[in-house]
Amino acid sequence: MTVDGPVVGVVGTGVAGLQSANAVLERNPDARIVIFGDETHRTYNRPGLTKKRYQLLGTSGTTIADELKVDGAASDSATWRLGTRVESADLYNKVLQLRTGETFDYDSLVIATGVRPRISAEDARECAIHVHKTLRDLDDAHHIHRELRTGTELTIVGSGFVACELASLATEYGCAVVMLEARRGGPFERVLGERIATALGRWMTRNGVTFLTGDSARDRLCNGDSSAHSELSSDRSLLVEAIGSVPNVEWLHGNGLDLSDGVRVDGHMRVPECADVYAAGDVARYPDPWTAESLTRREFWKNAIDTGDLAGRSLASSLGCGSKISHIRYFPLMTTEVFGLRIQIAGNPKAATSMEVVRGDLDRLAHGVVVTFSKEDLLVGVAYLDKGARLNSIYIDLVKTLKAHRR
Amino acid sequence: MKIVVDQEKCQNHGLCAISAPANFALDTDGKLQYHESFNEENIDDIEDAVDSCPLQAITLSRDAA
Repeated sequence: MTVDGPVVGVVGTGVAGLQSANAVLERNPDARIVIFGDETHRTYNRPGLTKKRYQLLGTSGTTIADELKVDGAASDSATWRLGTRVESADLYNKVLQLRTGETFDYDSLVIATGVRPRISAEDARECAIHVHKTLRDLDDAHHIHRELRTGTELTIVGSGFVACELASLATEYGCAVVMLEARRGGPFERVLGERIATALGRWMTRNGVTFLTGDSARDRLCNGDSSAHSELSSDRSLLVEAIGSVPNVEWLHGNGLDLSDGVRVDGHMRVPECADVYAAGDVARYPDPWTAESLTRREFWKNAIDTGDLAGRSLASSLGCGSKISHIRYFPLMTTEVFGLRIQIAGNPKAATSMEVVRGDLDRLAHGVVVTFSKEDLLVGVAYLDKGARLNSIYIDLVKTLKAHRR
Repeated sequence: MKIVVDQEKCQNHGLCAISAPANFALDTDGKLQYHESFNEENIDDIEDAVDSCPLQAITLSRDAA
């Protein structure tokens, strides 16, 4: 009776893809799942790429990969098609076109293709002074960690999570670091606002980073003028662009989906235009549980886990397996550490109209600062910065209050 | 079942302490403290803590000694 289980295609080998595959298999062990990925590696812990130093690589370059293994990725319950890009999809006839020239027929599909780094300009990829890189996948990380180990000078464009963690990491490896933030006053400004960003900029400087903003940053940016005709010598210093990301949706064009910023889905991770198609992870734009009217797309570990799980459960449910599924309940929590300063953010500070420092002093971040963010007197976000955890219980109490506010 | 934290991986980010404050906490130095054993009624919170950890340092071991 169960010889022919449903065929489920998962496009994307990141944690959202894996999580959705596992959620389907848990409820429908007969499902035949095929996971496609551009990369040649199975799922690994992407946020871990910038979080610590790794042992010297062996000749096979496996050390980082070993340390970043993700639970469940080793299982062979699904078929892995690694290094196999999906070129395009015909969602109405349920066929994927692979780069190899093959086609793949599915019954249900999970879109988990994630994002790629944004780059400032295609023609500015190389210049006479810098070797340009971006940091997104394991191969990038192998290269960059290897370079950092040689004590190279590092220039980082941008001041978001990847940029700040990389600056911290590079200093640990003994590199001199220059950060260029041409558009904003300091790290995480878009999320936490100008005052905290400025304080974080000072924190970077105090820890030895040459942190430049505005025109002085712009002056140091490679302007794409590689016409200096200098030989592309191997001793150019390293420049990493970390200026945001672009959802990988091009392969879905022509199916009438809303791809304006990732793939729009409903509160169950279903693609509304197409039955039996789901999306999860960084690429999925879903109804924000915080502000019912708006949609949100998030690029964090727990978001990939939660939306991947929900997409898998929704899919299994559509096949008649598993209990009734709930709407997305993702509670945004993120954390990073930059030069020993732990930065935790809960909720959605971006939605705030006002902020208040409830404990500590932004001029003394290392002593601990707790900040609340409100919109029309309703708490919408909390941030906590500290070297240590002296104020952690205050933060946790505020997060509990924040959780209680959510509908 | 018991909670196992890989101390090599753990970087004391404290997301577990938000998901399951009854079982995980950071001390004033920012180091993670936790109880290995837990109450079955907290299992949802603890599973959330396991998922939340960006370092994947927390696991549940079935063969509790």
